[in-house]
Amino acid sequence: MENSSEDYKIQSFDMDTQKLLKTALKDPGSVNLEKVSNVLVDQSLKDPFFSKEAGRICFTIVQAEAKQNNGAVFRRHLLNRLQQEFKQREETRKRSLQEWVCYVTFICNIFDYLKVNNMPMVALVPPVYDCLVRLAQPDALLNEEEVDCLVLQLHRIGEQLEKVNGQRMDELFFLLRDGFLLQEGLTSMARLLLLEILEFRAGGWMLSSTAHKYYYSEISE
Amino acid sequence: MSNRHRAARIGDLKHGSGPSRWSQCRKRGIDGSLRSHSDEDIDDSRHSSFTTPESAGPVSRCGRQSDWGSQVEDEEMRRGVHRDMQRYRRRILAAEGSQRERKVSSGSSGSSCDSRDGESIETDEAVLMRRQKQISYGKNTLAYDRYIKEVPKHMRQPGVHPKTPNKFRKYSRRSWDQQIKLWRVKLHAWDPPAEDSQENTLSGNIEELDLEDIVDIELDFPTLADCQNAPSSLQVPRSSAQDQDCFATPVKVQKTEEPDVA
Repeated sequence: MENSSEDYKIQSFDMDTQKLLKTALKDPGSVNLEKVSNVLVDQSLKDPFFSKEAGRICFTIVQAEAKQNNGAVFRRHLLNRLQQEFKQREETRKRSLQEWVCYVTFICNIFDYLKVNNMPMVALVPPVYDCLVRLAQPDALLNEEEVDCLVLQLHRIGEQLEKVNGQRMDELFFLLRDGFLLQEGLTSMARLLLLEILEFRAGGWMLSSTAHKYYYSEISE
Repeated sequence: MSNRHRAARIGDLKHGSGPSRWSQCRKRGIDGSLRSHSDEDIDDSRHSSFTTPESAGPVSRCGRQSDWGSQVEDEEMRRGVHRDMQRYRRRILAAEGSQRERKVSSGSSGSSCDSRDGESIETDEAVLMRRQKQISYGKNTLAYDRYIKEVPKHMRQPGVHPKTPNKFRKYSRRSWDQQIKLWRVKLHAWDPPAEDSQENTLSGNIEELDLEDIVDIELDFPTLADCQNAPSSLQVPRSSAQDQDCFATPVKVQKTEEPDVA
């Protein structure tokens, strides 16, 4: 079964780049994988939509390279680039909230998709937690963009994260409770999001049907 | 095992790098990308930029692999090693059962001496990781690629065809390193054609082998020390070797520790 390129959501790239990516998917050994990883990372930092979806194409390229020649060049470049950006995250956040949010979304997406022998990459667990904890800080909770990012990531990977490090998840949720209860200046949307995620986790990373009705039934198209 | 401890061993591996001619037939270049098959730029940047199968580029020799790329690769290798161990344990248990029945005559099974009663396997993770790295290093060569394409596993003859050392067996450090070295030397027979030699047959390349490098002849068998109780296992490869146009003959003949030729 062949995935059409729409599955990778690469429509936002220019045609040449799309071609490069498609080639990388089919024949990774023939392209400059460092360049490919940079292209993907750069776009993920700019494009909120792509940052949510980039994990899949990255995963496929990693698989393709491993299958073709047992290589891990792409993965290595990708991870090291992620690490670089991680080191500068505070500056990034100051410079551009959107880029920071894109970064967190992207790294969580990678964590979700790029598994090693079907297990999450242990090396990414601390930085992912660091990012989420940053989003739970008082100054961040004031920004709906950051709260929204935080709850989205917890929905997607919270359960996995908790399995690999339950203690840090507990600490994160202390912050969220505090934020919900004590933080002044939160928008009502932010408080709604926080309440929902608190219930979500309390319910074992899912919402009861009544809770689901409460939070979601009134969303209109 | 702390990162530093493991990293120090990685440092060991790097300092113990082999002769430069091996880098000629490396499948991957220094930046990790595949090399073309043509005779390549020769190394000697080998000292400053040492590539292992796991790294795409120069890695700091002072150990601490704190970059995420390396951490993930290490993690992957560790999981792989543990998975291999489980598989191996199962294989031993299975073989032990059938081997007891077959202990009658000379030949042992293909798992020659792998599974003898009471013998424990190597379980120290640091050791296994180090050995796995050495094995990966050897498999990351054009020679190995060509070898496995040319000789399917079931066609391999012990003694003639190189066999990957078994990382789960108990060996001394010296013995293991020697096995790896001999294995790598044997693999050179499948090196891609170099610029100056016309033929690339096995016999052609054997002459280029530095026979002084070869101390023991126990290439595919456990060292004699391990196998003192099973001299019969040596007969199998010998007889098969004689049937063949054995390109490894010069090597075997040079120093024979085996009992009389059958």
